[in-house]
Amino acid sequence: MITVTPLKSYNQPKALNPPLKLIAATIFLAALALKAQQPPRIVVLLDPAHGGPDAGAHLSGTLLEKDLTLSLNSRLRAALAPNNFGLISTRDSDPTVPFLTDQRAEIANRTHPAACLTLHATSSGRGIHIVTSALPAPREAADLPSPHAPIPWDAAQSASIPQSLRLANELGVALLHARIPVLLTQGSIPPLDNLNCPAVAIEIAPLSFSKPASINDAAYQQRIVQAIAAGLSSWRAHNPPVVPGASPNTATGAAH
Amino acid sequence: MIPRYQRIIFWSLVGGIALMAAFLLHGCQQAHKRLTALNDATPIAAPTNTNTEDVTLAVANDADASISPNADQVALPQDPSLRARALLDHLLSTYSLPGSAHPLQSGPAVDDVFLVNQSPAPNAAVVISDNAAPVPQSQLAIVNLHDSFVDRHPSGILTEALTIQSIIGTLHFAFPAIKQVRFLVNGQPHDTLAGHADLLRTYPAADTTSHPRPPQLPPDTPDATTDTSTDATHP
Ligand SMILES: [Zn+2]
Repeated sequence: MITVTPLKSYNQPKALNPPLKLIAATIFLAALALKAQQPPRIVVLLDPAHGGPDAGAHLSGTLLEKDLTLSLNSRLRAALAPNNFGLISTRDSDPTVPFLTDQRAEIANRTHPAACLTLHATSSGRGIHIVTSALPAPREAADLPSPHAPIPWDAAQSASIPQSLRLANELGVALLHARIPVLLTQGSIPPLDNLNCPAVAIEIAPLSFSKPASINDAAYQQRIVQAIAAGLSSWRAHNPPVVPGASPNTATGAAH
Repeated sequence: MIPRYQRIIFWSLVGGIALMAAFLLHGCQQAHKRLTALNDATPIAAPTNTNTEDVTLAVANDADASISPNADQVALPQDPSLRARALLDHLLSTYSLPGSAHPLQSGPAVDDVFLVNQSPAPNAAVVISDNAAPVPQSQLAIVNLHDSFVDRHPSGILTEALTIQSIIGTLHFAFPAIKQVRFLVNGQPHDTLAGHADLLRTYPAADTTSHPRPPQLPPDTPDATTDTSTDATHP
């Protein structure tokens, strides 16, 4: 049922009608164009490491690693959400019971994110350490398991290693652009080997060896977060999602 | 005149004080010895009839996340297990020296290293010829870390990974027969070194020398660099 408003009653001249329609059409087309230009939505899993009885490293003063990673999780969500990223967090509070790395890997592997970031912090070293799994990468397509073959839990990351290395590199370049020292390395850090998505562990260290307290500096943390957001945008541009339009409805996760 | 019973009580008390003083003095000496042993960063004493020998240590550097081979001289016992333990104690004690590139606190680090002979896999036993040199038996090294070493180790992905790689690389240089390395803490399986590096898995014993390269700009970036001179060799 359409209700027609009698224009005459408002004493508006009829001549204004076509230009109004034109403006409305222009706005509609501009909105469509903007939507077409928007980067494809991808889902990113954020895993603030540690939590509950596992406090992680004791950073400067009374700061605990589990609290810093949770705060970084919030900052990253705030920076990524407006840029058309779907976000899942493995935790958005401090759990009261142990939250095992296997449980985190289960969440990640069930939701099929385009990228998985495990967040850590340390008072050793400086800048950002980006770590990928030390598992050997498949040398050729023939080495990849068939889609129907069971994937060993301890080697789930193996097939994603080339993508994980590219993701680590994109994040590293963005951090260097933000003038933050960065090291790319490999290690056996649970749950990296159990994730079947492109995955990196991001470990935040103080800005310099002589300023251990800088790890708690909000401006430094925000610079890191902005650089990671830029790196993820670049990663998305270079690695568009294979499945068109990862469903935004599945990407709510632990929302704040 | 002091009554007899008061004299007996007096001398009993004097005797008790003397005993307690001796007990306290002994306790202080024991505590001092324990603390001195904890702060002693030197490796375990080598047999007096052993000369120093050249070894290669896989040395970690936190600044660039590298592991580099470093020639050193150290006196080592002949028994392979004791030899491996003395070598690792020497390696880890160097990290507690001032100015270390991978700073760790001093103190006891390795309780034992067990070397277990492993039979080769059935399908790996390929005889090339009758007079071929005998293939050396592969070994599994079980490194039993001291719990105080684990408690004192800095917590962090990179620092823990470098310690593990340094231990494995040093064992690989000195004992080529070691093909795998496992870790225990006080004789028990332990999940991580200090919250991050996995201590429950079996590590392949390989050359862990590595110099991670800096991030490379993607090829479609206008100012992409093609410099690969700092390529990495990963374990
Ligand atoms: Zn951590």
